[in-house]
Amino acid sequence: MAPAAGSLLLHGGLVAVLLLYGLIAGLIHHHLWGSSGSGAIQVNLISALPLPSDQPPNENVLATDTPSQAAAEPANKTRHAADQNILAITGKNKPKQNTRKTQQHEPEPDNLARYGEQAGSSMPRSIQPEGYTSGQTTVSDSDFGSLFSYYVRAVNTKMASNWYKQEVDPHTPRGSRAYIQFAIHRDGSVSNVQMNQNSGSQTLDRSCMRAAQRVDTFGALPSQYTKSTVMTSFYCEY
Amino acid sequence: MKAYSRYFPHLLIVLATLATLPITAQDWIHAGTNLGNERIRLAVADFKPVGDDPQTPALKAAFDATLFNDLANAGIFDLVSKSMAPPAMPGSPREIDLAQWSAEPANATMVAFGALSVTNGRLAVYGWLFDTHNTVNPQVLGKQYNEAASQDMARTVAHRFADEIILRLGGGINGIAETKIYFVSSRSGIKEIWAMDYDGQNQHQITHLGTISLSPRISPDNTRIAFASLGHDGWAIRMYSLELNRLVSFPAGTSKDLNQSPAWSGDGARIAFSSSRSGDPEIWVADASGANLRRLTNFAGPDVAPTWNPRTNAQLAWVSGRTGLPQIYTMDQDGSNVQRLTDGGYAISPSWSPNGQFLTFSWNRKYGPGAPGGQDIYVMDIASKRWLQLTHDAGSNDFPSWAPDGRHIVFERAINGRNQIWTMLADGTEQHQLTQTGNNYMPNWSWK
Repeated sequence: MAPAAGSLLLHGGLVAVLLLYGLIAGLIHHHLWGSSGSGAIQVNLISALPLPSDQPPNENVLATDTPSQAAAEPANKTRHAADQNILAITGKNKPKQNTRKTQQHEPEPDNLARYGEQAGSSMPRSIQPEGYTSGQTTVSDSDFGSLFSYYVRAVNTKMASNWYKQEVDPHTPRGSRAYIQFAIHRDGSVSNVQMNQNSGSQTLDRSCMRAAQRVDTFGALPSQYTKSTVMTSFYCEY
Repeated sequence: MKAYSRYFPHLLIVLATLATLPITAQDWIHAGTNLGNERIRLAVADFKPVGDDPQTPALKAAFDATLFNDLANAGIFDLVSKSMAPPAMPGSPREIDLAQWSAEPANATMVAFGALSVTNGRLAVYGWLFDTHNTVNPQVLGKQYNEAASQDMARTVAHRFADEIILRLGGGINGIAETKIYFVSSRSGIKEIWAMDYDGQNQHQITHLGTISLSPRISPDNTRIAFASLGHDGWAIRMYSLELNRLVSFPAGTSKDLNQSPAWSGDGARIAFSSSRSGDPEIWVADASGANLRRLTNFAGPDVAPTWNPRTNAQLAWVSGRTGLPQIYTMDQDGSNVQRLTDGGYAISPSWSPNGQFLTFSWNRKYGPGAPGGQDIYVMDIASKRWLQLTHDAGSNDFPSWAPDGRHIVFERAINGRNQIWTMLADGTEQHQLTQTGNNYMPNWSWK
């Protein structure tokens, strides 16, 4: 009897736990798609849909969805017929045919099959704040950059003003990047400054970490932001 | 253990259930150094007047002008000029059309707007700061103010709103719109201590001692001014209380000799000053009450004009003439670790920046007979000793003092015997004259 009772208890307990979990988790609303700060793709109401452009029908027999990497066939060259209305110039010179004096360089045909050239129409699915042409943030799944772009800009400015380029060895190759990460707390203070990815130049790495350590505060996190810290991944490029 | 091992599967199930609970994801910011840091393009709309109280237009005009000037003076915004802004006066978030403000010719990324009304002698202001490119969640700030209706309060409310905007957008540094500048003016006939708003408004006299008073230094909590004054027992450091409106005692500052150039430490606990009670002028330090007086320097030659490192309160910079011409030195608070910063010329009046990194001082690098010297304001990075000249070919500039945001410097400029007080950004741009009447000297910017 005991094993049967134990088995019954176990299965009954399982069912009860599952039911309870469904009940409780359903009551606590997390991460509803579309609510602010919940990891959804941000969608903006717009007044006009961008329609796909009108493409003329393609003459190629083979047509696929993906545009080919090969160049399209060049159009046939047409010769301009001599205009009938031109008065013949009497004299030595005959009206010249419109021949090209120089051959234009044509691209070498590569040995790829020619497919249909239609590119698929694409509608914007995530709308980035326009006007920041320097592309200040990458909107990944989290909403922080798109909701509080002014704060990200303040972080950028503060870090840029605290990074002293003259601390870096001038032999460091241009374009090397040191990636660091740190946490910004509710009051704007910085903690946990860590090296994420070396640049290969110790002076650049150290100067980047020092820039983050020099900052007293980035300013309090926006009051609409509910979490207590924001992780920041920052790179210093020489 | 055998009895407990019966419950092992139950434990597994509980753990499996717990593992499925949702974990809140960490938000990330990704940024870098070469992504461009332009000044924020901010548009300030005229606030909408609400109601028909006769005081409203005048107060609104003062408010609009003060808000615009404060934001223009901050040094971190690219303000949209009023002629480029759309001719709209949105008074609430429902009335604003963000597309209008982000389009040409305004091209604003942020817009400040709101409404102002006067009822029964009370001034009520509602102000918002919106991000024009974020149509989903544009509000950055929303504030309301309720004060007595007067020109002064209209300006004060504008100062407060401007400070909020600067704090929010400027990366955590407080704005200076509510700070004051204390200076010496001789327009009443004798040199007394005066005070004014940071933009030159509201200049009023503080001390009425009837004797020469120089180098005012306000305490970090804005309650007392320490200054050097000529009394019946010579030059003494006196303390004036702004709360009690009278002198309060500072026993350490009085001796039969020359006492001058007081300097408060950043925590308001100590005062350093120059005193010649031991023979030649040396730097002495006392507590703010006047107790615990001790000497820091012991060199031949005058040692004057100390200034504390406001960040650490453990270092002082001062002017010493031990090598002949006055040069700037730094030392620790116990007098050790003396280091020289300037390499020649005539360097005086150091002032340490609020973030502890820079010193500003007045320097004549080509001093001496026949040398074309000019007394100009310089900023030096203490760690690397690199300096930057801020003023060029414009009078004789002296007594620089940092603003608490580390972005502005106020100084005295003498042209043809007329001394006036000027302000500028810490890179030497945007130089504006603050005082016009009489002769004005030795400005000191308050700490907050």
